[in-house]
Amino acid sequence: MCASVKHSSRGPALIPRMKTKHRIYYVALFSVVLLGLLATGVFQFWPHSIEASGDWAVEKRSAAVPVVRLPRDSPVPERGDLSCRMHTCFDVYRCGFNPKNKIKVYIYSLKKYVDELGAPVSSTISREYNELLAAIADSDYYTDDISRACLFVPSIDLLSQHALRIRETAQALAQLSRWDRGTNHLLFNMLPGGPPDYNTALDVPRDRALLAGGGFSTWTYRQGYDVSIPVYSPLSAEVALPEKGPGPRRYFLLSSQMAIHPEYREEIEALQAKHGEAVLVLDKCTNLSEGVLSIRKRCHKHQVFDYPQVLQEATFCVVLRGARLGQAALSDVLQAGCVPVIIADSYILPFSEVLDWKRASVVVPEEKIADVYSILQSIPRRQMEEMQRQARWFWEAYFQSIKAIALATLQIINDRIYPYAAISYEEWNDPPAVKWSSVSNPLFLPLIPPQSQGFTAIVLTYDRVESLFRVITEVSKVPSLSKLLVVWNNQNKNPPEDSLWPKIRVPLKVVRTAENKLSNRFFPYDEIETEAVLAIDDDIIMLTSDELQFGYEVWREFPDRLVGYPGRLHLWDHEMNKWKYESEWTNEVSMVLTGAAFYHKYFNYLYTYKMPGDIKNWVDAHMNCEDIAMNFLVANVTGKAVIKVTPRKKFKCPECTAIDGLSLDQTHMVERSECINKFASVFGTMPLKVVEHRADPVLYKDDFPEKLKSFPNIGSL
Amino acid sequence: MQFWRRRSLWLALSASSLLLTLLGFFPFLRLAVSPRPQPAAPQGWPRWLDTASLRSFSQPEEPPEDVPQPPQAPHGTSCSWGICFDTSRCRGDGLKVFAHAAAQPTSEMHRRILASLEGSRYHTRNLTEACLLFVLSPEDPDGQCGPAPQHWNGGRNHLVIRLHPDPCPQASQLGQAMVAQASPRVDTFRPGFDVALPLLPEAHPFRGGAPGQLQQHSPHPRAALLALAEEGGRWRTAGTYSSTCPWDGHCEQDLGPKQTRPEEKLPNATFCLIPGQRAEASRFLQALQAGCIPVLLSPHWELPFSEVIDWTKAAIVADKRLPLQVLAALQEMAPARVLALRQQTQFLWAAYFSSVEKVIHTTLEIIQDRILGASAHPSLLWNSPPGALLALSTFSRSPQDFPFYHLQQGSRPEGRFSALIWVGTSSQHPLKLIQAVAGSQHCAQILVLWSSEKPLPPKWPETTVPLTVMDGHRKVSDRFFPYSAISTDAILSLDAHSSLSTSEVDFAFVVWQSFPERMVGFLTWNHFWDETRSGWGYTAEMANEFSMVLTAAAFYHRYYHSLFTHSLPKALRTLADEAPACVDVLMNFLVAAATKLPPIKVPFSKQHQGAAPLAPRIPASGSQPQPPHQDCINRMVAEFGHMPLVSSRLRLDPVLFKDPVSVQRKKYRRLEKP
Repeated sequence: MCASVKHSSRGPALIPRMKTKHRIYYVALFSVVLLGLLATGVFQFWPHSIEASGDWAVEKRSAAVPVVRLPRDSPVPERGDLSCRMHTCFDVYRCGFNPKNKIKVYIYSLKKYVDELGAPVSSTISREYNELLAAIADSDYYTDDISRACLFVPSIDLLSQHALRIRETAQALAQLSRWDRGTNHLLFNMLPGGPPDYNTALDVPRDRALLAGGGFSTWTYRQGYDVSIPVYSPLSAEVALPEKGPGPRRYFLLSSQMAIHPEYREEIEALQAKHGEAVLVLDKCTNLSEGVLSIRKRCHKHQVFDYPQVLQEATFCVVLRGARLGQAALSDVLQAGCVPVIIADSYILPFSEVLDWKRASVVVPEEKIADVYSILQSIPRRQMEEMQRQARWFWEAYFQSIKAIALATLQIINDRIYPYAAISYEEWNDPPAVKWSSVSNPLFLPLIPPQSQGFTAIVLTYDRVESLFRVITEVSKVPSLSKLLVVWNNQNKNPPEDSLWPKIRVPLKVVRTAENKLSNRFFPYDEIETEAVLAIDDDIIMLTSDELQFGYEVWREFPDRLVGYPGRLHLWDHEMNKWKYESEWTNEVSMVLTGAAFYHKYFNYLYTYKMPGDIKNWVDAHMNCEDIAMNFLVANVTGKAVIKVTPRKKFKCPECTAIDGLSLDQTHMVERSECINKFASVFGTMPLKVVEHRADPVLYKDDFPEKLKSFPNIGSL
Repeated sequence: MQFWRRRSLWLALSASSLLLTLLGFFPFLRLAVSPRPQPAAPQGWPRWLDTASLRSFSQPEEPPEDVPQPPQAPHGTSCSWGICFDTSRCRGDGLKVFAHAAAQPTSEMHRRILASLEGSRYHTRNLTEACLLFVLSPEDPDGQCGPAPQHWNGGRNHLVIRLHPDPCPQASQLGQAMVAQASPRVDTFRPGFDVALPLLPEAHPFRGGAPGQLQQHSPHPRAALLALAEEGGRWRTAGTYSSTCPWDGHCEQDLGPKQTRPEEKLPNATFCLIPGQRAEASRFLQALQAGCIPVLLSPHWELPFSEVIDWTKAAIVADKRLPLQVLAALQEMAPARVLALRQQTQFLWAAYFSSVEKVIHTTLEIIQDRILGASAHPSLLWNSPPGALLALSTFSRSPQDFPFYHLQQGSRPEGRFSALIWVGTSSQHPLKLIQAVAGSQHCAQILVLWSSEKPLPPKWPETTVPLTVMDGHRKVSDRFFPYSAISTDAILSLDAHSSLSTSEVDFAFVVWQSFPERMVGFLTWNHFWDETRSGWGYTAEMANEFSMVLTAAAFYHRYYHSLFTHSLPKALRTLADEAPACVDVLMNFLVAAATKLPPIKVPFSKQHQGAAPLAPRIPASGSQPQPPHQDCINRMVAEFGHMPLVSSRLRLDPVLFKDPVSVQRKKYRRLEKP
């Protein structure tokens, strides 16, 4: 195309000098111009590859890569320092303070290294390393500013040591602009060592550089410094194996690797001879017709099997070390949901710093190969099924693509540098189904707080001063009350003067709010110093001191729950196909009203800052259901039911509109039902737990002298 | 004409050339000038055009031609579990540990360690059946490493305990022996082979030990943010807003120093900064006990039991080179994380560190887990209450089978129970009881444990659920044996003379499903501290509190049968057999030690109480002369090392229990019969 354009653009200048008779010449010229025009048009409007691949980065490697000539005597880094640890060999100052807690990774641009004679140091970059660098560049870790980077990744492909010229590659590393003895440099290698002794770590001298290596042994792995990574299997991308449900499969044990040492093969074949059909040992096919990919076929005697599909037919799959400890077969086995039986002494399993391989694999010492069958037989079925699921999940999350491997590696290093923002064991290891169904109670420690701590009562009030004062007087009689907080929710009216408030034995604080919102009741006020909070409405004057004190005692035994007085229930309405709110006398409870309830102050923080979705705004807009929202929140985060204390009371007072009076209102009930349906959809589940019990004092209604009971005044109407 | 033709040709030609130039030029211009990205956007890795033609890094592997290296000639530094430990010796019975005669106690601490070992269920006195030999390194810090004991065998299958960092200069002197050392150096520590121990203070108690200091889940709003380990074993607390570098002693004046009094050994702050030198490792345990989240500044030593304990859940390993960053991170740490870290310190302290016995048992448990391989404790069991020492791997490897992990697993206990009726010497035929229990919709099976001298009755009542009769061994502790016939999670333990109604059974079981880790019972005892005798006592009198429920009628998880039989010291089980009333106390001790929570009481109708009292096997009053078995509670406290029982002041009743509503609305109305 370039040629034709050049040619035609010279056209107009040529023509005038031509003699007019040469018609053929004109026609020819004209057609050339027309053709050029057509071609240009096609070039212009055809959706071609250059534009589709983005604005930048359209380069032909052969043309764009600069060549660097390495003098024979250019420096070689020292061999790796085995005593390196993050706090000795890694320069954290380069990572600095970072509000996002993310390390910045720089990738050196691609160069071609040649020795003094002009011979290339290594072959061209591999597909996988190209993919790996692209994955890093697309991630949040990437920076193109070398001065801000904390980790440096060379574009020198070290994935396989096979074609590397060791000394020259090391020289190439040493002349990188920020090399500095390899500090903060990360090298990726999957196939280390070479014949005959196959070292378990990359042989290229690399000084202090971190090595992400596949196939480390305990001798070469620097715990907490290097990262052990998988050997990527190209079959992951080539073959799609749909997930298969857990359970026993056709073969109990399968060995599918081709490069197994004859001595080990003998031992495994002996297993097959002993256990017959349950064990299948495959080898490479010797008599396949030309053109069939031999790495995709395995044979047993004359039977031909497709690989890796055959792995899905086995419950356990042997992953034996070959010349190297790390085997790509591990990835294939995991992908097939087959439980790997790893036989490779001293092998550091991939990502072992964070992945719990006990959940997904069985590790057997090499000298125990003969016992493999009996070891596996002793694994109960349920555990085996869990391992199958876990194996598949590990593949999906950390093995299936070069990108997954690269990002997991960076995450591990990131977690070391920002340990306070590190990803937890559960996040690394739990499959999504477990993450979804499990609950990690924020107050998991079985601990009964001392009674002396007492509780803080929080009264939300608007303008019912008289009733408020009665509540204050009543609550102040409770022995364990340690502070009283009045949340004044009325912006148009000042709270009564100090002198008018009832005199009580504990500190009384009034907090004025900026807006009349129901959420104000659950704000984590600095004034709350006790763990226990009693939320109480300004019209709840019917609870006796004994009842409140007993409620606090019950909370101490269940500090992670909502402990309240009036109980409510949610029910599934089969006719309407939705949830319904129930305040009748039922045998079950799933909620307590926060008009009078004890709970841990941490839930105030959760309510204010961690309430999912738009629930908080919804509550404030509707001026209703803040208690239902709190019940949902606590049940969802703890996985536990509420505790209703003491018998049912008529929550009515003569002066005020009582909770029950309000609750009975039909429209109110409809609205409360709506709240339940709305919250259930926001939470994506129904977290409330239904129970059939309530808490009473040990001797409640027992035949025992009343005056000897700790809480005699309970349940009186 | 020709002119016209030529003219038009000319025109057409020049027009098209012009068009061509314009159209053709711009794309090339664009290629030449604009493809560079805007300077702001980071330039990523180029999308090379030749990607498709790149070759894969992998090449088919050639099989190793030479004989695989036999396990490398094992020498100290290169030992790993698969190579240097011979597990075949542990086949059959699992781990059996023999303490070397050479390891004569030379100090109080040594004596405690050996006593702990002897109390372990892995201990053996027979050298030939041992698969692990236990060697105590001399206490003297600069003493010789001592001559190798008999049967040393290059150290193979030996475990050398070293309570001090570095008594012997080189690990390689120990050959293939595993080293369990206090605060080992990270660079000589062999992960998966050696065991990292905590650095124990000289006065660390043998058993039980002090409980964690934490009294509340969340930090008190006025509590100090930081405590710094200082020389002389003291801690200095620093307020929340002291912003500059609080260690290295560079900026003491900024702290508004608030020295703790020297006798105060434990810090009172949210975070405890601990320098990385190995000499400071003893501070780690102090912080743990105090519930002060340890912030380790580039530690040079391996954290204790790091093989199994996930320390990221309880401590923060920070880089001492980034003081400001660490401080900012601590100040801004999300409350949820602070809460979780704090609680985990307390759990770990109580589960693995509070006594010498726990430390030694944990060490052995780790080695046992290595031997078990696939059936070892999963990480969850090590890292959540009650801890791996109380969650036996021999019971099950699936967390759902235990009563403790239903929340984390998103599972629920089974909806059925097995009734286990124990027929003792003087019992009558439990006919009525069987009928009442079989009437429950949740009952899956009834097991009768015939422990009476009387012959088995020929006839048993017809029941809708399977009834199995087992012949017992006439020992009281038999009733807590983990019989394989028990097929459900829940057990309803009953005495033949107990008397319950179906309604009571149903309600109690529904309650148990909400508290599967606790015992749910009908009749209760309470323990108390008796000043006059300076000892513990217990009473069956009606009281406002209780701490035990009688196993004559109680629901609990079947796991506790395994725990009772396999983890209790034999001395305690013998004690229970000698004094049958003790068995209830013992079972309650066991469950309370595991859960740290009181049992649950459910209502029990009066009508039975008068007619056939539920096993009031102990005298009611504490002032009368104590029968000898009464003292079992004190013997148990001694064996447990502490008093595990916790009192409760509540009873769980049905929601409408004795409420003034129509009895027809009540589900458990039979509970209210006068």
